Amino acid sequence: MRPLTEEETRVMFEKIAKYIGENLQLLVDRPDGTYCFRLHNDRVYYVSEKILKLAANISGDKLVSLGTCFGKFTKTHKFRLHITALDYLAPYAKYKVWIKPGAEQSFLYGNHVLKSGLGRITENTSQYQGVVVYSMADVPLGFGVAAKSTQDCRKVDPMAIVVFHQADIGEYVRHEETLT
Amino acid sequence: MKANREMKRLFVGGLGQNISEADLQNQFGRFGEVSDVEIITRKDDQGNPQKVFAYINIRVTEADLKKCMSVLNKTKWKGGTLQIQLAKESFLHRLAQEREEAKVKKGKSTTGNTSLLEKMKTVDFHVKAVPGTEVPGHKNWVVSKFGRVLPVLHLKNERKRKIIKYDPSKYCHNLKKIGEDFTNAVPISNLTWELEGGNDPMSKKRRGEFSDFHSPAKKIIKVQKNEDSTAFPTIRSKPRGIVESPHLIQQLAQKAPHNSSTPKSPYITDFDHQKFKNVFFQTSGLETTKKRNSISDDDIDSEDELRLMIAREENLEKTTWSSNEFENDPFEVVRDDFKSDFHKFHTSTGLGLKNSENNVTENGCDSDSGDTDEIIAMKKSSGKIENGVDFSQGEKSMYKKTLKSRKKYDLSDDCIKEQKRKNKVEIALSHRVKPLSCKSLIESSSSEDADSVSESTECEGDKEYNTLMENCLRVNLTLADLEQLAGGNQEAPKEKTESSGQETTAKCDRASKSRRTPGDLRRGQQCIHPEEIVASLLEGRENPCGKQKTKENTLKPKFQAFKGVGCLYGKESVKKSLQESVASNNINKDQISLKLEEPRNVSMGKWSLCANGLSSEQTPFQHAKEANDSNQIQPQKRQSFLSQGHKVVSPNSSEKRNRNPISSLLPLKDKKSSSCGAKTPNRGLDEDCCHGTGKSGESSEGRPDLCSSKTPEKSPEVFSRRDSQGSKTDFPLSVNSSSDVNAKDKHAEDNQKRLAALEARQKAKEVQKKLVHNALANLDGHPEDKPTHIIFGSNSESETEETSTQEQSHPGEELVKESMGRASGKLFDSSDDEESCAEDDNNRFRIKPQFEGRAGQKLMNLQSHFGTDDRFRMDSRFLESDSEDDHEEINEKKTPEEEELAAEKLKALNVVQSVLQISLSNSTSKGSVAAKKFKDIIHYDPTRDDHATYERKQDDKPKESKAKRKKKREEAEKLPEVSKEMYYNIATDLKQIFQSVKDTSEKEDNTPWNEDSDGEKAEVVQDTPALMTRSEQTGGFTFSFFESDAKDEKEETYRVEAVKPGKVAWQGDPRFQDSSSEEEDVTEETDDKKQSPEEVPLPEKETTRFFFFSKNDERLHGSDLFWRGVGSNISRNSWEIRTNNLRMDCRKKHKDAKRRLKLK
Repeated sequence: MRPLTEEETRVMFEKIAKYIGENLQLLVDRPDGTYCFRLHNDRVYYVSEKILKLAANISGDKLVSLGTCFGKFTKTHKFRLHITALDYLAPYAKYKVWIKPGAEQSFLYGNHVLKSGLGRITENTSQYQGVVVYSMADVPLGFGVAAKSTQDCRKVDPMAIVVFHQADIGEYVRHEETLT
Repeated sequence: MKANREMKRLFVGGLGQNISEADLQNQFGRFGEVSDVEIITRKDDQGNPQKVFAYINIRVTEADLKKCMSVLNKTKWKGGTLQIQLAKESFLHRLAQEREEAKVKKGKSTTGNTSLLEKMKTVDFHVKAVPGTEVPGHKNWVVSKFGRVLPVLHLKNERKRKIIKYDPSKYCHNLKKIGEDFTNAVPISNLTWELEGGNDPMSKKRRGEFSDFHSPAKKIIKVQKNEDSTAFPTIRSKPRGIVESPHLIQQLAQKAPHNSSTPKSPYITDFDHQKFKNVFFQTSGLETTKKRNSISDDDIDSEDELRLMIAREENLEKTTWSSNEFENDPFEVVRDDFKSDFHKFHTSTGLGLKNSENNVTENGCDSDSGDTDEIIAMKKSSGKIENGVDFSQGEKSMYKKTLKSRKKYDLSDDCIKEQKRKNKVEIALSHRVKPLSCKSLIESSSSEDADSVSESTECEGDKEYNTLMENCLRVNLTLADLEQLAGGNQEAPKEKTESSGQETTAKCDRASKSRRTPGDLRRGQQCIHPEEIVASLLEGRENPCGKQKTKENTLKPKFQAFKGVGCLYGKESVKKSLQESVASNNINKDQISLKLEEPRNVSMGKWSLCANGLSSEQTPFQHAKEANDSNQIQPQKRQSFLSQGHKVVSPNSSEKRNRNPISSLLPLKDKKSSSCGAKTPNRGLDEDCCHGTGKSGESSEGRPDLCSSKTPEKSPEVFSRRDSQGSKTDFPLSVNSSSDVNAKDKHAEDNQKRLAALEARQKAKEVQKKLVHNALANLDGHPEDKPTHIIFGSNSESETEETSTQEQSHPGEELVKESMGRASGKLFDSSDDEESCAEDDNNRFRIKPQFEGRAGQKLMNLQSHFGTDDRFRMDSRFLESDSEDDHEEINEKKTPEEEELAAEKLKALNVVQSVLQISLSNSTSKGSVAAKKFKDIIHYDPTRDDHATYERKQDDKPKESKAKRKKKREEAEKLPEVSKEMYYNIATDLKQIFQSVKDTSEKEDNTPWNEDSDGEKAEVVQDTPALMTRSEQTGGFTFSFFESDAKDEKEETYRVEAVKPGKVAWQGDPRFQDSSSEEEDVTEETDDKKQSPEEVPLPEKETTRFFFFSKNDERLHGSDLFWRGVGSNISRNSWEIRTNNLRMDCRKKHKDAKRRLKLK
């Protein structure tokens, strides 16, 4: 467990900023306490200072996880967001996509969102913008990347992919072993 | 020339933003007559103008147009490059043209249509033959369904490799020739330019405002009957577009009465429902569905569930419908700040549902359905108003169909097909008579029935009379068994719905009837008021329909029907009431303004629908409930209807609702309730007369009255509001009559139930009142308490219970107070707010303000030592003794770890900054501010020692900003550097220019300079800038080679001085500067040229300035003489030689010329 290097921080923040934009600073600079990012087993954890102190008592090899896992660094030092970060991304998300009840299951099984399943989308979402996917009842289901801009979405045929799947809450079941 | 002028429309792009129409007119007026200028400014999201362009209608000749284009196109004018193009004609022009052309064509085509066909020698594609017959001579051509000859197609399926034979005789083709109907076309001047902004969801959507999403219906309904549960959603989920609302109304119309009429077979509603669907979509298979459904047997619960489901479906439909408005766009696009109203919606519906829950505990499921019905009705009303026009138009055809089908199984072919209108009237009449007959049967007074019938017929033609009589008889027979099942009252509305020749009129009937049927008590006396409404309704209904002829007919039967019903109850006063009603009708017709009628009566109809269903379905008790419900829903409703016209709707509908309760309440013998009930209608009537926008306000006023129905004193007040209705007398009478009805009431159990429920209701009300009272009392009491008592946060616990307990707790507080002193009495003022809330459970789990934060935690711990003992309630002052230590501790703790974290945070923030590329100006300070805020809850007292910590905190701030200061200083230091550069720049320029000058001078002066002077000059030239600065410092020390230039030089130097004060630092050794300046300047030459455009001419003059020579240098005199002398000699010699030569030549020529002249 160690703090992130500047490069790592940059890579991670760039990724997160895709979803929440400038709200990122709210994650870093929280009024309700000090929170920080810690790297442990290539995974980045978002930890409150309090928990950090507690976790300091546990040796590194025994420590499985602490705080909230935001994602992990791949071998190529890219950052990949995990679904566990959704709790922090969803409230701050700038661009959202709501999917119809019928398409929910498909999305939760790890599929992309087709236009037919698209219930609602934030206006002027640009292409390849990170979006948080909600159900029509406003339950955050996961996140992805807009494959089409809002304007394009209007034109494409119903079977076209509008949101690339990245993570969904179905992973809690499907990838139980890898999520920490 | 002028004849050639044509109207052209020009596009002029690239205009400046502050262009005016007059400008354009002037500009283009040169080329032709400018008739119309339209400037369009395109703006971006923020409203900043991006593009400005204009369309100009100009009457211009071709040549002029060309000239105009060539002259003005791509010229700069008023801050923009003009771009002129020919534009298409304004679409209005085109539309007008098109229409005219079409008109002309039409006129032609009608005359020469047949001949044209013959001329063309084409086959007539319309063959009158049975579909499917092959056309002789053409293979594979058959007569299709509608008589058109079409080829049999063989279509290949793309995927399945299967060839499908498409026989047009077996499929209906969907070809439709859409001919433009220019006769009915709206004149262009009357075209709709703007959609009126109603506040209803439809128009909102048209304007692009999307309503918040309502959650899809949960399908929690137990599938008791597969049929039903499936039938509903499938039918409902079909996108139906505009035609929908009438359907729904009809459905409802069908539904409500059915539910009510036959408690045994609640599923009749469903099949009815289905039937209606079928009627609309395909008019067949009615009987089968009916049979199927009629078999089904269920309890009432399922029915209620179904209703709920309908309500939900309705919501769902609404949303889906809205989103499905354009097929291509099934999804919604929302703004960034979108917040789904999912929860809101639930709460809003919950309002209604909550009530219903209360009722459920008392009375089962009755009220539930009521609420949902209301919701449905509400929804519908909003939807309806949008489609009001469509409805009124499209309605007719729809109902014709339905009528026919209905007729078939209800009256079994008793209606002959005549003219449709007549038919309708007949049917309506017959149906209207039905209830009469039913009731008469119940009363076992056939003679009366006859009377009523005869009365009604008096007003009509003979024809109608006959048919009516027939129908009467038949209906009596057919309905005999139904009557046994349900009370005549309940039957009546049902029949009414069936009879609905025109939906709404029928509805009106029902509305009025439902008002009457449950509690006809006030029939004799108060009939004026309902009649009024009916009249208004009818008028409103009639006018949009534009059926002047049928009006008379339809009006009359209705009132006859009323009469009939009335006579059943108040036997003696039948005739009186009749006359009264007719009279009032006539009067009211005149009185009521027509414009507001249409939406109002639509909604009224709907309200009456649901109300009707309810009333007939259950006991009047429910109406009491409904009335209450309506009160609660009212605010919601009002939100939805914001526009004026709609405002009128809501009060009206509320009036309606109130009316039902009246009738239902009256039999309850309760004077209070009856008074309240009576109040509401009166108010409603009052409103009716007023027709003002203040209605809603009034009704809202009245509503509280209704709620607090205990006070009969209030009713007079309301009555006093009434103008000339004479209702005061009515009121007691109505009460009396209510007792009569009660006596007649057969369902004793119902009564009991009602009473019990009412009692419970009142109890609840009282409790509520108490609550409110308490809350108010608290509000009032507290200001008094404040100064005397110290209110501690702990108080809020006790406050939640009751005021009495609060008082109890006070002694305990006082104890604390004594021990503590009152230094910080204001500390927990905020607790007042919470007390006023007095909400229950929620507060209990909230973190109390005194336990917030770190200090609060400590306090909590302290408190936990003593348990909940009031005597040892902990207060922040207990903490204060420790607080000093605490703070110190915290400070100590912070030092090692926190700083690390803070540093990390800073780093992270920096990264964030770089990632987001924004400036997080005071992000760090923000955090500190927030932290400070937390601590500021403890009041800062400068006299206290322990509060010095806070002061110190403030000291920290400047420390933090030290870095900034440093930065600033650095920046300040940088500035001179900038000026330095500028200085260099000038030097380079000069140098360059001088060099060039030098070169030229060298070229020009062919005379050889000696090396010494040459080198000197070069140096001098380079040094000039330095010289200038020098001169600035020393003042008036100027160098010039020639006296004449001295003045100019001075001016130059002054100017330079003004521009660059910073140069002062940069004199000293001029030579050194030169060398450095040369080096640096080479790199930045290009920039410098721009910076010193003024100074370009300056150096040229300065060629005369030199450094090493003073103005009157002695050294120069000698040399001056020397070279000047040489130069002058040379020139003079050459000049003399040349002049001599010239003179010689001149003379020679002159002589020659003279000689020649002489010779000649």
